[in-house]
Amino acid sequence: MGIADIIIATVIVAGALYILYRTLWKKKGCCGCEGGSCCKK
Amino acid sequence: MSTQLKCKESLEETEGNIDAAQQTAQGRVITVAVAGNPNSGKSTLINAIAGTRLHVGNWAGVTVEKKEAQLEYAGRKIRLVDLPGTYSLSPYTQEEIVARDYLVNERPDLIVNVVDATNLERNLYLTVQLLELGIPVVMALNIYDEAQAKGYEIDVEGIEKMLGVAVVPTSATKKTGLDELFKSVLAAADDLAGHMPRKLIYGEDIEAAAEQVADELRHRNLPLSGRYPQRWLLLKLMEEDSHVLEQMKLDRLDFLYQALHHLKKAHGDDMESIMADARYSLASGLTREVLQKPELRQMELTEKIDRIVLNRFLGIPIFLGAMWLLFKLTFDLSAPFGGWIGAMTEGPFKRWASALLLPLGAPDWTVSLVNDGVIAGVGSVLVFVPVIFAMMFFITFLEGSGYMARAAFVMDRTMHSIGLHGKSFIPMLLGFGCNVPGIYATRTLENPKDKVLTALLVPLMSCGARLPVYVVFVSAFFPNNSSTVIWSLYVMGILLAVLMGLLFKRTLFRGEAPMFIMELPPYRMPSFSSLCVHTWEKGKHFLFKAGTYIFAVSILVWFLLNLPWGVQHKRDSYLGQAGAVVAPVFQPLGFGNWEAASSLISGVIAKEIVVGTMGEIYAPQKDEKGEVPTLKEDLKEIAVSFGAACNKAVKTLFYLPVPEEKEKDRSSLRHALQGVFTPLSSYAFMVFVLLYMPCVVAIAAMRQEFGTWKWAVVGLVYQTMLAWSAALIIYQGGSFLGFGG
Repeated sequence: MGIADIIIATVIVAGALYILYRTLWKKKGCCGCEGGSCCKK
Repeated sequence: MSTQLKCKESLEETEGNIDAAQQTAQGRVITVAVAGNPNSGKSTLINAIAGTRLHVGNWAGVTVEKKEAQLEYAGRKIRLVDLPGTYSLSPYTQEEIVARDYLVNERPDLIVNVVDATNLERNLYLTVQLLELGIPVVMALNIYDEAQAKGYEIDVEGIEKMLGVAVVPTSATKKTGLDELFKSVLAAADDLAGHMPRKLIYGEDIEAAAEQVADELRHRNLPLSGRYPQRWLLLKLMEEDSHVLEQMKLDRLDFLYQALHHLKKAHGDDMESIMADARYSLASGLTREVLQKPELRQMELTEKIDRIVLNRFLGIPIFLGAMWLLFKLTFDLSAPFGGWIGAMTEGPFKRWASALLLPLGAPDWTVSLVNDGVIAGVGSVLVFVPVIFAMMFFITFLEGSGYMARAAFVMDRTMHSIGLHGKSFIPMLLGFGCNVPGIYATRTLENPKDKVLTALLVPLMSCGARLPVYVVFVSAFFPNNSSTVIWSLYVMGILLAVLMGLLFKRTLFRGEAPMFIMELPPYRMPSFSSLCVHTWEKGKHFLFKAGTYIFAVSILVWFLLNLPWGVQHKRDSYLGQAGAVVAPVFQPLGFGNWEAASSLISGVIAKEIVVGTMGEIYAPQKDEKGEVPTLKEDLKEIAVSFGAACNKAVKTLFYLPVPEEKEKDRSSLRHALQGVFTPLSSYAFMVFVLLYMPCVVAIAAMRQEFGTWKWAVVGLVYQTMLAWSAALIIYQGGSFLGFGG
């Protein structure tokens, strides 16, 4: 596995972790329903 | 004539906030609050008007908080605010508090009061209270078509004259009367002062006492007099409304007690009851004036059905039978489509991904990441989208038809008899779709203890996310009894919720269970378009999950299965090693292998990820060599197999003979599971998935709802312990009885 592979893999893993952070933590799993009841405090 | 008719004759113009009323100029956004009783069709009306997709169900308590929709009508901007359904504006339930706070503090330009024309008297009780607010009201006399079908004759003009509000007959489901409603809304918005409701008079003695209190208020020049509608404030003070009294922060309320003392003595009751009686009298008198019902000819259809469905002995068997039928229909209808998606993801999609990536010079591992990670992981979940949508469709049908309200009522008897609040069953029923809205729905309960207790029990209801796990296991181990096995899991969830509720009620949440009063709406045939819209609203969450966190977890799981780099066997990967560490815990449960353990760990994010992870773990290591179909052949195969799936679904649904397919088992996952699990251990595994800790989103919902991690942690711990114990009993008990083979 070369440097390029490591960089690509790191970017992909970081992207996946960001998606998880964004959907589960930031948006609290809300899929954007119109009522928005799942994300309301 | 009764008191209320005298009151009606002396109706007067109410003093309202006319200055504010004049401000609704042509260019301004008109704020319209939509208020009404539960199940009067508010959300349906807003959906029909604005095309939004608010959750609609033929049962009370669907809208917990206020929701908004913006629209333009005749070039005017209108902001509709859908308030929770309430029977009154007393500050007791969460719905009442939300509705009342909004109306009193935010002061919308006008109120559209949605009134169920088939249930006029009860709905008018709220109307009477809305009129006290001094905000122009337009009444949508909804469900008017049903009222007419029942032979009700309603004097619309009579209501207008008596209450001083515009009244428009509507049918939200048939979308009739909406234009007229909006014309009335605009007319009222353009002349708010001219559309102020009439002041209703509550009887001589009450009004005399009210005058005395009003004099005192004027004399004392209280600060709240300017902030709140005067008439409303006056009536609330007379009711001795605790919230208002608290806000007034008056040290001495002697004048109030003096004014009311005589009244209380004369009526022999507290002020709240006296005022409630006065309002009921008005609503009742008005109804008698404007409504003519036909002679009762025969029992109505709803009554006939309820005699059977709510029968003391038949109620629960019918509920269980309805659930079984729901699963049967769900699987018969959706299984062929699931197979079709599975065939696509395992064949053409992987081939196309390789054909796209390899010519671009992508490294081999990225091709494997896409095929064995993303497509295997996300694809394993997507296979179950038809099952989930079919089930949501039938659940929506049951909600919309009015049966779910009966189910809650029927279960109430059982739950109440062991000390649980019957109303708690409603969030639990919502939990069948997804536990998260079920947890949020606990805010409809009045008692804080009941809220927490119900939220702790909701995750025991088998949500749609567990369904993919069940389906993959039953199709591998119980192909001939799939719906019965899955039904047994759902029933087990309910039974354990009842038992855990009993246990909690006797330990952590001691106290009396309040009586359950639930409205049983008439049965209605939901419209097909409404069914489709709400099925989509419920089901789209799963597509969203597949495209976001299941996608992300599939990538991470692939890396964990392939690190340290160059690992030869998945057992030696990081995920395999982690699974192997945890696996002994599951040994007594019959699935002490690293594959099951790893899947359960990743399934904490979302339950369907259990299947996604298994899909990656059991993904074939090497592609079969052979003739590779061309793109044209792939597309043709996809179209042909879709046609075959439709054909099979229709035939299965109507019990027509389906020719036995000599189908090679395309699902490598199913095949692999048959090598690792036995029917008994697979059942124990499904029970564990049903019961073990809620997904992270449900845990976050509990944290958010109760403002502390305490109850989320309690739920997490007790559920995992319960899951382990139940799976142990099933596996060890089954082995002891000789089912272990």
